Amino acid sequence: MKWSSFQYLVKQGWHSMVANRLMTLASMGVLTACLFITGVAALLSLNVNSFVDYLGSKNEVVFFLEDTATDEQVQALAAQIDATDNVAASTYISKAQAVEEMRQDLGENSDLLDSFAGEDNPSNPLPASFRVSVEDPALMDQTVQTIRSYGGDLFYRVEAPSELGDAMVTVRRVANLVGWGLVAVLGVVSVVVISNTIKLTVFARRKEINIMKFVGATNAFIRLPFFVEGMTVGALAGVLATALVGGGYYAMDRSFHAADSYSVLLVEFQQCMIPFSAVILPLAGGFILFGMFIGGMGCAASIRRHLKV
Amino acid sequence: MIRFENVKKVYPGTGKSPDIVALQNVNLHIGKGEFVFVLGHSGAGKSTFLKLILREEAATEGRVIVNGWDLSTIKNREIPYLRRGLGVVFQDFRLIPTMTAYENVAFAMRVTNIPEKQIKRRVPYVLNLVGLRDKAYSLPQELSGGEQQRIALARALVHSPPIIIADEPTGNIDPELGVEIMELLQAINTVGTTVVVVTHERDLALRFHKRVITIDHGEVVADAPAAPRRRRTPAEAAAPTAAQRGSAPGQPARPARPAAARTGRPAAPRHTGAAKGGEQP
Repeated sequence: MKWSSFQYLVKQGWHSMVANRLMTLASMGVLTACLFITGVAALLSLNVNSFVDYLGSKNEVVFFLEDTATDEQVQALAAQIDATDNVAASTYISKAQAVEEMRQDLGENSDLLDSFAGEDNPSNPLPASFRVSVEDPALMDQTVQTIRSYGGDLFYRVEAPSELGDAMVTVRRVANLVGWGLVAVLGVVSVVVISNTIKLTVFARRKEINIMKFVGATNAFIRLPFFVEGMTVGALAGVLATALVGGGYYAMDRSFHAADSYSVLLVEFQQCMIPFSAVILPLAGGFILFGMFIGGMGCAASIRRHLKV
Repeated sequence: MIRFENVKKVYPGTGKSPDIVALQNVNLHIGKGEFVFVLGHSGAGKSTFLKLILREEAATEGRVIVNGWDLSTIKNREIPYLRRGLGVVFQDFRLIPTMTAYENVAFAMRVTNIPEKQIKRRVPYVLNLVGLRDKAYSLPQELSGGEQQRIALARALVHSPPIIIADEPTGNIDPELGVEIMELLQAINTVGTTVVVVTHERDLALRFHKRVITIDHGEVVADAPAAPRRRRTPAEAAAPTAAQRGSAPGQPARPARPAAARTGRPAAPRHTGAAKGGEQP
């Protein structure tokens, strides 16, 4: 295609956008809204994922050992646990270390436990334990079962926060499902809205299209200005949605980090919230590309019928 | 130029309504440089005849050959190139109301991928041909029906097509202005362009003593060859009326307008080439 033709086509697309500015604005608004909701859903889903992963890494299963376990048995068990699938890390806490930890937790009252302190203190009532964190909380139950079968009678108790894990896994699954469902539904809605706008432009210019056909313009040439229009609307909606969602996320990111809160959940959330700087570029790129794609699709859907002359 | 071989066109009926036979048993040949009237009442099959030539519709049976294109085997993507070799003038002008005369003519070149430089040379030339150089920057609504039709004619001429097809070109304009259009078409014909005028006006068809093909009920019922005018010498008959009046726009070689002749010539062979499918967009 020649440069002058390209200029002409872009100019035509732009002209028709300005001429139908009300419809252009309306479809841009709807597409922006769709992208906005899509973006919020996607960010929410991403952050829930990140939160669940974070909790998963914090999720420790504690295997308490009988005092009868010998050093050899403990070492063999440690090797087996490390070799188990889905185990992220495992630590052995001896009886003496358990007392030490508890003393630290008690702070100024730590002297209460003085009589239990020291290696191999026979009066120490606290059990030795393995603390195991898992990679995927969804598989925690299986992992616990596997490790339990290694130890058998050596474990006198297993503490697994399996209910929390299950709940988080469910939350993540629902968030992902809702997120993608919204993306799909809103994508279809946007295509319909854009295609209606383009249909109006096509209708307004049907005489021109008819003349173009008779003077020998190719279908591709006739279609192009409408593609330019649809994709420009899409790209502009993408920019707007980026500003809205990005701005909102930035404000949230800021306020979370500024918050001087003692709420445990908020502190935890602060640590796993995906930072603004990591989000903004993929967000902008995704919005603009998705907007242009939807704009182009809507255009293709509406113009086909009018080319049959 | 244009050849119909046993052409039949049937529009399939919808639901309960029966099929409509618009044309059948049509055999005709229109040669290069001919001036032909196609005469028929409304509903006789004239529109279908035109649609078949423009390949708006495909023949149900038989073959239609236009400018060397066999329209029964032409590919969809080749149709634009077929149409660039056909200049069409419609009864309702089909001008874009928001564009000036110049823009309307330039439009036909812009949408067929022709560089702006060439457009700037060619459009004034064809506007001059139809005698509307002064009205180049007027909008269609500011012009009379005859003038609007002349813009449409300029637009049809812009690709230097070997064939001009006029569908009721005088239908929407005053009779005296209609004569002007017909004279222009004759002048265009004298430089070698094939002209096909489709009309329902018997008087118009007979006045010019050209070949008249009559269509009725979907069939060619008469094909009368051109007859020389009785009260004129053969020399007079050969010379176009418009040329005698000194307004012959169809003769670019006239010394009175050397500039127009220069700009007109280089464009002509290029478009003919494009019409044969040599140029891709």
